[in-house]
Amino acid sequence: MPIFECRNLTKNYGGVQALSNVNLTVESGRIVGLLGPNGSGKTTMIKLANGLLTPTSGQVLIDGIAPGIETKKLVSYLPERTYIPLWMDLGQLLDFFADFYGDFRRDAAMEMISHLGIDMKQKVKEMSKGTREKVQLIMVMSRAARLYMLDEPIGGVDPATRDYIIGTIIGNYDPQAAVIISTHLIADVENVLDDVIFINKGEIVLQSSVDDIRQKYGKSVDALFREEFRCWEN
Amino acid sequence: MLGKLMKYEFRATGQTMLPLLLFLLVSAVGVNLSARIVDHSDSNAAQFVAGILMFLFVMAILVLSVMSIFLMAQRFYKNFLTDEGYLMFTLPVSVHGLLWSKIFVSAIWFVAVGLADVLAAFIATFKVSAVVNIAGNIKDMFSYITTEYALNGAAFVAEGIIIVFLACAGMCLLFYAAMAVGFSFPRHKWLLSVVFFFVFQLVLQIFGLGGMFTWVQSVGPASTASVFAQVHTSMLVVIAAEAAFCAIFYVITALMLKKKLNLE
Repeated sequence: MPIFECRNLTKNYGGVQALSNVNLTVESGRIVGLLGPNGSGKTTMIKLANGLLTPTSGQVLIDGIAPGIETKKLVSYLPERTYIPLWMDLGQLLDFFADFYGDFRRDAAMEMISHLGIDMKQKVKEMSKGTREKVQLIMVMSRAARLYMLDEPIGGVDPATRDYIIGTIIGNYDPQAAVIISTHLIADVENVLDDVIFINKGEIVLQSSVDDIRQKYGKSVDALFREEFRCWEN
Repeated sequence: MLGKLMKYEFRATGQTMLPLLLFLLVSAVGVNLSARIVDHSDSNAAQFVAGILMFLFVMAILVLSVMSIFLMAQRFYKNFLTDEGYLMFTLPVSVHGLLWSKIFVSAIWFVAVGLADVLAAFIATFKVSAVVNIAGNIKDMFSYITTEYALNGAAFVAEGIIIVFLACAGMCLLFYAAMAVGFSFPRHKWLLSVVFFFVFQLVLQIFGLGGMFTWVQSVGPASTASVFAQVHTSMLVVIAAEAAFCAIFYVITALMLKKKLNLE
């Protein structure tokens, strides 16, 4: 059974169609790039998978079940926003994740935090934007989840932080789990991806393994993406 | 999970509420001591200090009351309708758990503020005998009700507590429902929240006044003995009415958060 599946998934915002009849599956043990330009429907799909939106029609399934309390135990979600409460200090944030997620690995989180050199008593509101993003990534990757959904984890950060983020993802995810990374910065993540899903204007344009793309098209995913989306824009 | 949600809600709100509660009680002690000093002295300086302390005491009462209402609304907005909503609504807990944690914690703070106000007033009261007299009078009143009119004083108090709790929960839910509906729109979220707040309040008043009028008409004149029985029955009617309004606003809020959550 796929860990993530969309069946004829459609989402409309008023009269605007954000996702149109999407069908796709993601299997466990794969790192998947959800790639598309801004406004293509990536965030909408991830929000639907996390129960933050309800589908207009069709289904989104996590391990065969619709989003709810049980699926939230399986999915570790990193939104594109800074979502950790500003009033907490780092110790309280660790307590919070440990209290609500049975799969939270406190030791792993503590080790990553020690590498960043942040004081456990430091409040989130006193941290820089970059540190907050690193801290929330640490929280998300410290869960032994079945599915990691990371929405634009490297958007808006400097190249050194991008390397840190990608290194943290690869160094901490459970190899039995699936990782879905939504981004439009393909060159930075291409080397860690097993599969890619191209999405544009709410429709799936391509779903393939990275190896197949290189074999079939003789070019990198980044090059194919630039070429394909340039065509669509014209 | 409700206990855990409430724990973090208390932590978040306690950072503001506990120092204010402490300030209220300290200022009450200050008022008491300054009143004792002024009683034995004609010094203008002592009277000036007493005046300042009394001003701080009154301000503490006002700020605490306003802050408890502000925090109730602010926590709902910040925790559910801004970026923190991404965290709260992806926790493995139900929308009901999230909502109840907010209602319980806010209602508990409202009651705590009320009790702290009473305690502070007792502390600030210059004469301890006056406090003892008031407490004695309340006790006598309940004994009188119980013996003369065969009413259960404890049940009377329990009904009063339920009315207070439902009133607190109802006020929270009125704010929550208005914000949940207002923020489901793509634009003018705050403006629409305010509009819905007044619309809900208007509906509440129309039904509340209408219901009260119907009730008063139906009971008619009563003898002195049955007045207390009627008060007792009226309290049950008020509880039923408050519970109904709470249920309606709860359903509106929960449905909007479940089906129409509109995080940016």
